[in-house]
Amino acid sequence: MLFRQAGIFHTNYAADRALFPISADRWMIGILLLCALAAPLLVNSLYVSSYLLPWLVWTAGALGLNLILGWAGQFHLGYAAVMGIGAYATVHATRAGIPWEIAIVLGGATASIIGIGFAFAALRVKGLYLALSTLALQFVMDWVISHVPAISGGTQATLQAPDIRLLGWPVTSDAGLYYVALIWCVMVTSFMLNLRRTALGRALIAVREKDFAAAVIGVNSFYFKLVAFSTSSFIGGVTGAILIGTFYHAVTPEQFSVDVSIQALAMVIVGGLGSIIGSYFGAAFILLMPGAMNTFISWAATQFGFSFSIETLAHLPQALYGALIIAFLLIEPLGLGKIYSNIRDYLLVWPFGYVKK
Amino acid sequence: MDWALLAESAVNGGLVGLMYSLVAMGIVLIYKSSSVPNLAQGAMTMLGAYVVLAFANNAKAPIWLAIILAIVTMFGVGMAIERVALRRLAGRPIIMILMMTLGLEILLRAGSMTIWGGTGRPMPIGISDDPLFLGPLLINRTYAVGAAVAVAMFALFVLFFRTRMGVVLRAISDDYTAAWSVGISVERGVALSWAMSAVVATIAGVLWASVQGVDQSLAQLLLKGVTVAVLGGLDSIGGALLAGILLGIVEGVAASFLDPLLGGASRDLVDAAMLILTIMVRPHGLFGRHDIERI
Amino acid sequence: MNANTPAKVLSLNNVEVVYDHVSLAIKGVSIDVPEGGMVALLGANGAGKSTTLKSISGLLIAERGEVRRGELQFLGRSIGALSPQERVRLGIAHVLEGRRVFEHLTPDENLIAASAVRGRHDTSRNKERVYSYFPRLHERRTVASGYLSGGEQQMLAIGRALMTQPKLLMLDEPSLGLAPFLVAEIFQIISRINKEEGLSVLLVEQNAVAALEIVSHGYLIESGRIVMHDTAETLKKNPDIREFYLGGAKAKSFHDIKHYSRRKRWLT
Ligand SMILES: Nc1ncnc2c1ncn2[C@@H]1O[C@H](COP(=O)(O)OP(=O)(O)OP(=O)(O)O)[C@@H](O)[C@H]1O
Ligand SMILES: [Mg+2]
Repeated sequence: MLFRQAGIFHTNYAADRALFPISADRWMIGILLLCALAAPLLVNSLYVSSYLLPWLVWTAGALGLNLILGWAGQFHLGYAAVMGIGAYATVHATRAGIPWEIAIVLGGATASIIGIGFAFAALRVKGLYLALSTLALQFVMDWVISHVPAISGGTQATLQAPDIRLLGWPVTSDAGLYYVALIWCVMVTSFMLNLRRTALGRALIAVREKDFAAAVIGVNSFYFKLVAFSTSSFIGGVTGAILIGTFYHAVTPEQFSVDVSIQALAMVIVGGLGSIIGSYFGAAFILLMPGAMNTFISWAATQFGFSFSIETLAHLPQALYGALIIAFLLIEPLGLGKIYSNIRDYLLVWPFGYVKK
Repeated sequence: MDWALLAESAVNGGLVGLMYSLVAMGIVLIYKSSSVPNLAQGAMTMLGAYVVLAFANNAKAPIWLAIILAIVTMFGVGMAIERVALRRLAGRPIIMILMMTLGLEILLRAGSMTIWGGTGRPMPIGISDDPLFLGPLLINRTYAVGAAVAVAMFALFVLFFRTRMGVVLRAISDDYTAAWSVGISVERGVALSWAMSAVVATIAGVLWASVQGVDQSLAQLLLKGVTVAVLGGLDSIGGALLAGILLGIVEGVAASFLDPLLGGASRDLVDAAMLILTIMVRPHGLFGRHDIERI
Repeated sequence: MNANTPAKVLSLNNVEVVYDHVSLAIKGVSIDVPEGGMVALLGANGAGKSTTLKSISGLLIAERGEVRRGELQFLGRSIGALSPQERVRLGIAHVLEGRRVFEHLTPDENLIAASAVRGRHDTSRNKERVYSYFPRLHERRTVASGYLSGGEQQMLAIGRALMTQPKLLMLDEPSLGLAPFLVAEIFQIISRINKEEGLSVLLVEQNAVAALEIVSHGYLIESGRIVMHDTAETLKKNPDIREFYLGGAKAKSFHDIKHYSRRKRWLT
């Protein structure tokens, strides 16, 4: 790191419990935010709309899933279904003429209400059984979405999403859409950062560590599981709506299939359970990897004179994706977030590493 | 109401259900010895079928020899999976283990596609397509063979779990540490269960492939397998057998009612609903063990 | 050490165990078990008794613990690097704390599972031997062990350990949660096995009264350190042992609290 922690003393509790107690951290966050704001000016708009934007939206999604998985410790193998509910609800609402700002809240609320269905599963069973029942709910949702014409607009149909209008102004430029995604991502991030410091966040962690013990110290795990599922579903629903509004511009059931649920799960695991910065890394890693893999494979093919069949080229990135998930679990189960904090801890005292022990 | 049609869909459903049991048995075998829910069982089934084809088409082996060679190969694959992927995860939270089996699922599925391509291919194992007549009912021959194989596998495993090695595997599933304390090689026991499960997957793969061809959709048998395994009680081989029949019948009968109403493809919905219902009403399934609690 | 000291089956020299790379559970424990002898390891809750046994049987790996320092010798051979199975094969048997039978297996199957390191024809002979020590197990050999009574489960756990044909039997709190007459019965059987088969025994106990009756030597462990080692007779007479572990001496008044803490400190 570029700074030292030495010489930082807090003289009151407020300063000690601040979100970023170290002023250098505050500076860095500020600079990062400025860069994010300036990105459309600095970076080619193709990169903004095809890399930065989905990254931010998916980070928000990963954070929502992390809330349920990393904080509350409840399984959710059906997160994509929840996102899909939000997306479809929002699209239908805007098509019915409801302003977009209200429509996404409606979408989030719908997702949240149906997401509570997942919570009821969580109230009855834990661990493996919860994982399987959420997986089954994902299949049910998939089926309902694609087989009820009133929702999907008929089988195999693609439903066009109306353009986003914020306060009556149409948002269509790449930069405008990017800012929408950025605002949402920052909102979710700051919610999650603050959650750690509230009674709610601590109660969730208590529920994760031990249901029963939490009950003994007066944490009502029933209530907190409901809150965790509905909050995370709300975040998921709005994220799904924003993903459609800013990135896909049209909605089909495949965008929220079980594979997407696994992809979201992979983001959280690769990023690190319960790690906020990890969700950023995890989302970036999972989104960028297929592209990077393709580039690498074609580079390797020309370099070493292989020639792959079309089919091989189509499936190899997916196979490597599976292999990478396995590798992560074996090598660093706490994910990229943990690797980052290891590096940070190392650099903070570099070159005086021995002072720590 | 057409009773003959109903009976026919029930009987065929039961037979198909027994073929689901084959997939479920693989899941049960692994769960029984290490409490790991294997979400890669579908992909292992698919891989098994591809390996058989590879021996039959590339090495020009006759189909029975190809099946035997594939079984031997998959035995090794099962051992290797445990050795490389699962052993280091022992004692980690269940979410890591689930994610590992999901990672394996993706790797095995996409890996098979990468090597052998995604176009569907037939698996000719010499069972004729003519239906079997059972009184007024038409019965699919492949289903009948598959059901017979499932029952045979069941009998084999029941016998196996009475042998010394079988008792050791059951001991491992009861208590890892106690198993270590009496000198049982826990790692080898778990590896053996993966290997057996890979063998069962190969057999299931061959039978299912002869019904629907060899392609990616074999991996989707996972949902059926999981539903049957949970319904039977995750650690009961006999439960897997009966639950398979039950699910097959329910699915067959429900589909013959629902398909016209819902515009087809209601089977997956029935599966998922059964899975949810089982977990909500009776998580340990029909025959799963409760943990023994003495008063 | 004089010349007629019996040969040692087990000797621990300055063993230190760390859990999770950080928490130091035992700090330099040295223990000797003579051939054919019976030795007790006494201590309060959390003193490190179970950890000591696990370091000997190699079961620390199941709990992410490791022996960081010191030497473990069994029959003159260093066993620090061996796996639990190899140690069982050499003749170390560990009866775990809290019984831990294979609940869904019958007693008969428990015994079969426990003979994994021995040959097939040894199994039936060993089984007969176990049933002769514990006739009660024979009566109940076909019910799931989870449904046995606590005493029967403890017998099964000991019988299971005997199936491995051990040279050293380590018992972790065999009296835990049992009625006094059962404790007496089990201890009697243990000392019978010790006498008849010349099996060395290392007994971990909270119940010092019962333990000191049957062993020849005792070690006292506190906060991960051995603080006392003597013959059972001497230990029984020691006023501190009487006070803290045998529940003897007279009732203390609160005026003597200082005295209590002085004694305690001296012990550690
Ligand atoms: N798996 C573990 N991880 C971390 N620390 C442990 C673990 N097991 C034991 N300890 C610690 O090591 C110390 C010794 O524990 P040990 O189980 O050996 O005590 P004990 O003497 O057997 O106690 P008891 O009479 O209650 O069985 C304790 O402080 C305990 O907290
Ligand atoms: Mg203990």
